Amino acid sequence: PPSAPADPAAPPPRALGPPPQGSVGASPRAEGRPSAACPEQEECSVSADTVLAPLRAALDACRATVQKQVCNDIGRRLTVLEDAWAQGKLSAPVRKRMSLLVQELQQQHWDAADEIHRSLMVDHVNEVSQWMVGVKRLIAETRDLPTRE
Amino acid sequence: MATYLEFIQQNEERDGVRFSWNVWPSSRLEATRMVVPLACLLTPLKERLDLPPVQYEPVLCSRPTCKAVLNPLCQVDYRAKLWACNFCFQRNQFPPAYAGISEVNQPAELVPQFSTIEYIVQVKEPQASPQTPLIFLYIVDTCLEEEDLQALKEFLQMSLSLLPPDALVGLITFGRMVQVHELSCEGISKSYVFRGTKDLTAKQIQDMLGLLRPAVPMQQGRPLQTPEQPVISCRFLQPVHEIDMNLTDLLGELQRDPWQVTQGKRPLHSTGVALSIAVGLLEGTFPNTGARIMLFTGGPPTQGPGMVVGDELKTPIRSWHDIEKDNARFMKKATKHYETLANRSAANGHCIDIYACALDQTGLLEMKCCANLTGGHMVMGDSFNTSLFKQTFQRVFSKGYNGEFRMAFGANLDVKTSRELKIAGAIGPCTSLNAKGPCVSENELGIGGTSQWKICSLDPSTTLAIYFEVVNQHNAPIPQGGRGAVQFVTQYQHSSTQRRIRVTTIARNWADAQTQLQHIEAAFDQEAAAVLMARLGVYRAESEEGPDVLRWLDRQLIRLCQKFGQYNKDDPNSFRLSESFSLYPQFIFHLRRSPFLQVFNNSPDESSYYRHHFARQDLTQSLIMIQPILYAYSFHGPPEPVLLDSSSILPDRILLMDTFFQIVIYLGETIAQWQKAGYQDMPEYENFKHLLQAPLDDAQEILQTRFPMPRYIHTEHGSSQARFLLSKVNPSQTHNNLYAWGQVS
Repeated sequence: PPSAPADPAAPPPRALGPPPQGSVGASPRAEGRPSAACPEQEECSVSADTVLAPLRAALDACRATVQKQVCNDIGRRLTVLEDAWAQGKLSAPVRKRMSLLVQELQQQHWDAADEIHRSLMVDHVNEVSQWMVGVKRLIAETRDLPTRE
Repeated sequence: MATYLEFIQQNEERDGVRFSWNVWPSSRLEATRMVVPLACLLTPLKERLDLPPVQYEPVLCSRPTCKAVLNPLCQVDYRAKLWACNFCFQRNQFPPAYAGISEVNQPAELVPQFSTIEYIVQVKEPQASPQTPLIFLYIVDTCLEEEDLQALKEFLQMSLSLLPPDALVGLITFGRMVQVHELSCEGISKSYVFRGTKDLTAKQIQDMLGLLRPAVPMQQGRPLQTPEQPVISCRFLQPVHEIDMNLTDLLGELQRDPWQVTQGKRPLHSTGVALSIAVGLLEGTFPNTGARIMLFTGGPPTQGPGMVVGDELKTPIRSWHDIEKDNARFMKKATKHYETLANRSAANGHCIDIYACALDQTGLLEMKCCANLTGGHMVMGDSFNTSLFKQTFQRVFSKGYNGEFRMAFGANLDVKTSRELKIAGAIGPCTSLNAKGPCVSENELGIGGTSQWKICSLDPSTTLAIYFEVVNQHNAPIPQGGRGAVQFVTQYQHSSTQRRIRVTTIARNWADAQTQLQHIEAAFDQEAAAVLMARLGVYRAESEEGPDVLRWLDRQLIRLCQKFGQYNKDDPNSFRLSESFSLYPQFIFHLRRSPFLQVFNNSPDESSYYRHHFARQDLTQSLIMIQPILYAYSFHGPPEPVLLDSSSILPDRILLMDTFFQIVIYLGETIAQWQKAGYQDMPEYENFKHLLQAPLDDAQEILQTRFPMPRYIHTEHGSSQARFLLSKVNPSQTHNNLYAWGQVS
């Protein structure tokens, strides 16, 4: 139906009727997208220790072969992470994903752990930038350790 | 008559090539009468998921002036193990490794479906020098607002996680002074400070940075190298996997430029010197290897060589009006400064990216050659502290389907043609390698006088326009075999630092225009032709007056319509174009009004930005830029593309417009009123909620992948932001003709 032309002397516009009900016709081009609700937004009850303890253990394993300065640097950043966590500065998605990262690290899935670190850097850079590079380095150094059983 | 659409599409998918004409007029005279030149759009590294590279080197024709690569068009004598080059007809012996080939055991490069094939160049032991890793040199402006600088610092820290792990990285910061940071694993950070007002030669820079002394072999967990071999790093460019923690701290500690900016003045950006030092540093340490110089700037260069405007705020930065009136004091000198740097950089295979975020202009007009000649990126935004910049910047490091970085470096494109064709030139993000030869035409279109070009940085969407000239004499017989051929050989450095060679060989039929015009006509690719003409127009617009370019474009359109239109004299309504030409006038109409040719309402920086992106995108994206796509969503049926015309704007529709640079979602009047009334929240009107969501979902698809990320505008009837849509549509309906029901629209 043609639209009513705008005219200064026109009568007031007709009262707005509701939109039609029922099907829209063929579904829009985009396929159904995954729900926007992110599971990470649920209450996250990961404790700091479940994340920090394995990281510190990994660091200890590196001390024998990796340069002292590098280990100290990583250690320093793990402390920053620990403090930030204790002070409640980290959001739920960050805490959740860190626990996933640690799990991957413990299972020696280096690439997966690396991917998680990258995704955290990209999505939450302002929260993680101070200490994440230490975790990144820890993954890299642990991966390069002489083969373990 | 069968349409060529499928043929065109298949060829593009396989070879990444679109020709303006797919049946070629066989004489020079006839070719010029076609109006649109014989030309093609080539995407050298088109993503091919089904094309694994072969692990051997290409076989070349032995004639020194030819050296074409063995391809499916060559005649092969399997018994004698000989092949005839289809370009120069030289008979060549197959190398010993091909002793076992036969008709039923063909090497891949002879199989017709491998008209495009990729080779991996094997590095020959034991002379193999360690492959130089990729290099990323950050140049960071510290004269930014606090929040902007903080955001930029974080994104740079983020990028360290996105770089290839063995890449080398370096940092130069600038404001009033220029600081080159020495990256080391020791506790103390050192930097070399340069004055931002004084330009230095490459040798002076290298001398002051201590690069001219013989390199000291460094212990890096690698076997110690002999002094003759170059050290794969230097004090200013270190491997990311070793320096990431220190560099993260260094970036975190960057402060705003400490020099006070007095009221009424601009901050002092010494961009010209900073860039000069970066180019000199890389020239002296890693010539001829893949590198990105990434310039992050928040304001125009205001001191030293390359300055674009003075530091007094009361003197505004040049506008198009100033340039037309010859009132842009610094423009010529600044442009020359950056052009010199760009050429030096290109000669070394290093690309220069410009990431410019500011509310006012930043001098992109003068600096554009840095990105355009080297294939570097140009990103323009309002502020670094935006998700738009962050997401665009992330995509610099994006990876393809196979998990490899999309960026590639140091490409050398060599084009060969059969003898009836010559090469007139190329338009795109490249420089000439001045390779003369029998294929090179004297008539230049774009960057001519050569059959080889260098593209320092490219990705799977980078597209060059290459223009040809038919040189056969009029009435000369059609060449034997009836087909002409072109071969595109692109040698490049893959992101893994491996050297690869992509070879594409295509052929098309010749036809005598006097007796077979209908075949030539049917094989016209109007989309490719529009983009190829547009690139020519935009190229001319850089050096000619705007109105002259429009007149030229109009003349070409008129001549094309005269040649190929059917019409009765003095009867405008009888004019018809065949299907293969019918969309072409529309493309030219929108091109004339586009920001690529119309500088009105755009700053010189904005025009440079739009033109930069236009000159390198593939055909589909280029067409979107010329004639934005409009999709309509309504209750009357599924989403459909509609004409870019004011008659497409209806009250009960939602429109999605993609101009490449913006994604605009526009709610028609009734839709907007329904939304305001809240119908989408009522369960019985759930289909309205879906209708509102549909264009948002489709927009996301585009927003997630395109580089640079488009601006997202959500607007409605009557809103000020509706202007983005209204200024693009063909105004076929205006207040003047809305009531003229009797008129043909």
